[in-house]
Amino acid sequence: MVFLSLSCWIRSRGPDRYWKVQEVLKHARHFRGRKNRCYSLAVRAVRRALVYATKSRKLKKRNMRTLWITRIAAASREHGMKYPALMHNLTKSSVQLNRRVICDLAVTEPRSFLSLATLARARQQEGFRAALGDGKEPSGVLSRVVLLQ
Amino acid sequence: MTARGSQSRFLQSVLRNGVGRYVCQLKRISIIFSKKAQGSLGVREFIEEGVVDYAKKNPSTVVYVSPQTSRIPKIVAEYLNGNVREEIVTNKTSPQILELLTKLTNQSGLEIVRIRKPFHTDSPSIQGQWNPFTNRPPSIGPIRPQKQDSP
Repeated sequence: MVFLSLSCWIRSRGPDRYWKVQEVLKHARHFRGRKNRCYSLAVRAVRRALVYATKSRKLKKRNMRTLWITRIAAASREHGMKYPALMHNLTKSSVQLNRRVICDLAVTEPRSFLSLATLARARQQEGFRAALGDGKEPSGVLSRVVLLQ
Repeated sequence: MTARGSQSRFLQSVLRNGVGRYVCQLKRISIIFSKKAQGSLGVREFIEEGVVDYAKKNPSTVVYVSPQTSRIPKIVAEYLNGNVREEIVTNKTSPQILELLTKLTNQSGLEIVRIRKPFHTDSPSIQGQWNPFTNRPPSIGPIRPQKQDSP
C-alpha cells in the first residue's frame, strides 16, 4: 500500500502573513493592554487611532486658539481689563497682532503686554468720552485713523 | 501616522552650522549601479558626464562609484552625524540624479520627521518669563540697613 493522496492534502497558504500583521502591529506598539500585542484587537485600535488623527487636525487649531484666548484673558485680568475689551480696543487702535503672538508676549514679555493693556485702556476711555461727551471735546489721539495713500 | 506613534523632533541646526564657517554635512556618497541593466541607464549617463564635476564642486564629500551586477541602482548618502539615507534611482534621467544629489548635499543629516515648531530660540524671554509674582506689588518694602540708636 502506498499513500499517495496524503501529500495532496498539504496546502501552502500565503507566505506573507507575518509581515502583513507586523505592518499593523507596529502602529499599535505604544498602546495599552492587549491591543499592542493581539492582531484582532490591534486592527480595530489602529483604525480608531488613525481616524482620530485625521479628525483632530481641525480640532488642534480650535484648541490652540481657545488656549491662547484663555491665557490672554487671564493676563489682561491681572491688569484690570477683560479679554473682549482688550482685543476690541487693540483692533480699533490698528494693532494687528494675532492671538498667538499676544499670548507669547503675555508669557515671555510681561512688560510689553502691560504696555498693550494700557494702550487698549486709553483707547477705551477715548471711546467712552466720544460716546458720552458728545462733541465739545476734540476726538482723542488714538482714535484718529491714519489713511496711508 | 499619528503624532504620538511617529517620531518628531524640534527645529535645530548642527552645531550652529553657517553662523561662522559652513561645513557640508554630507560625508560620503556611494553610487551603486549595474553595468548592463536598463534601469541604470540614467546613472551610467550621469557617471559619464556629471560625477566628476560634482566631486570637484564638493571637495569635502567622498564619492564612491561601485558597479555591481544585478543590483537596483541606489545612491547611499552618509552624513557627519552618522545618519544614512538611501535613494533608489531606477529609471531616472541624468539631470534628475544631479538634482537629487544637490538636494542631498544641501541637507543636514538630521532625521526627516515631523518638526514640532517651525521656530527655535535659545533665549525665548527677554523681560523675564511670567511667574505669579510678576504683576504683584511686593509685600515688604525695600530692604534697608537696620537703624541702630546708639549715640
